[in-house]
Amino acid sequence: MQKEEHPNRHKRQVVQGADMVLNEDQRWSLVDLLAKQTISAGTYKQTVWDVIGELTVKPLTGIPVAFAVLYAFWSVFGSFAGALCTDGFFVKFFDNHFLPWMQAIWPDPNSILYFLFVGDPLADNCFEAFGVLTSGLFIAIGVVLPAVLIFYLMMAILEDSGYLPRLAVLVDTLLHKMGLHGYAIVPTILGLGCNVPAITATRILETKKQRFIMMTLLAIFVPCGAQLGIMLEVIPESVGYVMLFLLIGYVVFGYLLSKIVPGTNPEILIDVPPYHMPQRANITKKLWMRTSGFIINAVPFVLLGVLFINLLYIGGVIQWLSDVFAPVFVHWFGVPKETAGPLIAAFLRKDLAVAQLSNIEMTQYQMISAVVLISIYFPCVATFVVMLKEGWKELLAAVGVLFAVAFIYGGIIHAIGILLGVA
Amino acid sequence: MLNSVTQVLNLKMKLSEMEFGAEGVITEINTEKQKINAMGIRVGKKLKMITKQPIKGPVVSTCGELEVAMGVDLASQVVVDVD
Amino acid sequence: MSKKAAKILLVGNPNVGKSVIFNRLTGSDAVVSNYPGTTVDYTEGTFISGKQEYTVIDVPGAYSLEARDKAEEVAVRMLHEHRDATVVVVLDATRIERGLYIALETIEMGRSVLIALNMIDMAHDRKISVDDRKLQKLLGVPVVPLTAITGEGIMQLSDMIRKAQASDVKDILARAEGRASEPAQASGCAGC
Ligand SMILES: Nc1nc2c(ncn2[C@@H]2O[C@H](COP(=O)(O)OP(=O)(O)O)[C@@H](O)[C@H]2O)c(=O)[nH]1
Ligand SMILES: [Mg+2]
Repeated sequence: MQKEEHPNRHKRQVVQGADMVLNEDQRWSLVDLLAKQTISAGTYKQTVWDVIGELTVKPLTGIPVAFAVLYAFWSVFGSFAGALCTDGFFVKFFDNHFLPWMQAIWPDPNSILYFLFVGDPLADNCFEAFGVLTSGLFIAIGVVLPAVLIFYLMMAILEDSGYLPRLAVLVDTLLHKMGLHGYAIVPTILGLGCNVPAITATRILETKKQRFIMMTLLAIFVPCGAQLGIMLEVIPESVGYVMLFLLIGYVVFGYLLSKIVPGTNPEILIDVPPYHMPQRANITKKLWMRTSGFIINAVPFVLLGVLFINLLYIGGVIQWLSDVFAPVFVHWFGVPKETAGPLIAAFLRKDLAVAQLSNIEMTQYQMISAVVLISIYFPCVATFVVMLKEGWKELLAAVGVLFAVAFIYGGIIHAIGILLGVA
Repeated sequence: MLNSVTQVLNLKMKLSEMEFGAEGVITEINTEKQKINAMGIRVGKKLKMITKQPIKGPVVSTCGELEVAMGVDLASQVVVDVD
Repeated sequence: MSKKAAKILLVGNPNVGKSVIFNRLTGSDAVVSNYPGTTVDYTEGTFISGKQEYTVIDVPGAYSLEARDKAEEVAVRMLHEHRDATVVVVLDATRIERGLYIALETIEMGRSVLIALNMIDMAHDRKISVDDRKLQKLLGVPVVPLTAITGEGIMQLSDMIRKAQASDVKDILARAEGRASEPAQASGCAGC
């Protein structure tokens, strides 16, 4: 286990092997001496970037800009991924051509293989069919791929411009109340792309307490790009509510965790780098790396996930789980007992789980509750594995917190629905 | 006016209390000196306060080519001779 | 090539262009972004210069060797784990002072060091000029100016890596205070 919060523990080692070691002040004065003799600065005229740099960090102008940036992010994401690619092209292609074709050429609609790979012989769309090669490919390539592609593009622009540290300054006040500080916005935004690199990125936070809170919140309340993409497709009218519930949970449980988790929460102290024009070469490279990573790692997982879920259906496991947990689902969370199936899928892939939910008969509010549950009840297996790498004690604690939060928050959401008369 | 007085006297002030756009020379860093130094904010350097966020939010200042954001408690430990 | 691959560590403040240099040298795909803390784990790559194979490690950025966060801890750990490695300290030419601090710390460890003075283009835009020859004389280790994003100076950097050397702060101090004028290269062994 890594021991930390001992900033000086390497000092003794530094001393070894050196002829002479300066203390901090001596070293800085030597730096000054060196700088004085080697650096000369002419008069520098402020550029438009410097002005923008100031405007985006001052609250009066910066906060509206932050909202505008996030709104632009969201609407480009929604319109490009949802409307243009998926609805405009992939849905037509998969539902009108690919699915009928698969149903026609795959022999014997009553066989197990047909059920596993093509799914429902009567389905007229790729969400309902739920075969590995129909729904699996459609979800992975038709829905989630365009979504993550556009998401990664916008994220790369945000990363390369130098905006993130400024956003961190603007949200610091809020995040500091949640046991974190503003820079926690970096893992959070990375997490909206994929939770896996986000978990590793929690290392930029100083203390164990901060990292633990951040990891737990990521695992519970930050939906990944794949899940966002599928939500936009399956429940476009309810995505806003789901996100609102997740955001409220992020803030409220962050605040509670900051009170419960022992440890310190040092203040923000960060460098704000100058803006750069994002370079096209770097953007394309990152886009390519992340997208190909998605195709190599995620797509097979989606396909295997469908296969696995179908096998569980055949084996009667999901039916059994639905019955066993029916009281909890129906009475506590207020969702149909069939939600058990998608919840299992959610451990493999969240996008798959949301797609599966769309086949279950339920009200809009039940749908919202079920999607929130899928997001919060457990991280996907890939996230689980990187969390393990960051430390198993933390992981165990996080899982404990997670079950408690999922249970409590799921109940609260149900209660809110009852109070509003929509549950 | 108060303004002209400060100009004459070179008022010592906490970074957290400086006006937007005010400049001065850092004279003291009382806590976490090492941490703040490492970011390039040091005694004897010229510093300009850029902005601070509402509700005790962080203070952003520039020090030469560096721009650093620090929490308000840290900023209150940095004393500046404002000119 | 029977010679074992020599090791190089790329260290320096966050966001100074270490990962760009790493990618340029090795042709790898380390993630590059414009915010401190992009690299929180190390990445390895290799390249060949003058018949010698080098293993390069892109180390997370650190402001000093007294680690403040976990990414900095990784950096300090890498320095200790690879005691035989040459250290390329990357400096941002527009923010030299802050980088010199960790450069001195590395030199004080007795490591074989080379300074990569990056972001020369930005320094030029901002009307900052750095006398790299003078810096080299004062520090007693090679200093290579470069602009990593355009690739300018990368060749020189890879050629100079074998010239990296250890230096003694006592001598650096003496030279900086004007008490000694001999550059370190002249004596080869400045301390004896
Ligand atoms: N103008 C300019 N920008 C550079 C140069 N080298 C790197 N950058 C930019 O500086 C930022 C940080 O680079 P990166 O390699 O991620 O820094 P690291 O944190 O030290 O690994 C990126 O936005 C790069 O595009 C350079 O030589 N000139
Ligand atoms: Mg890097």
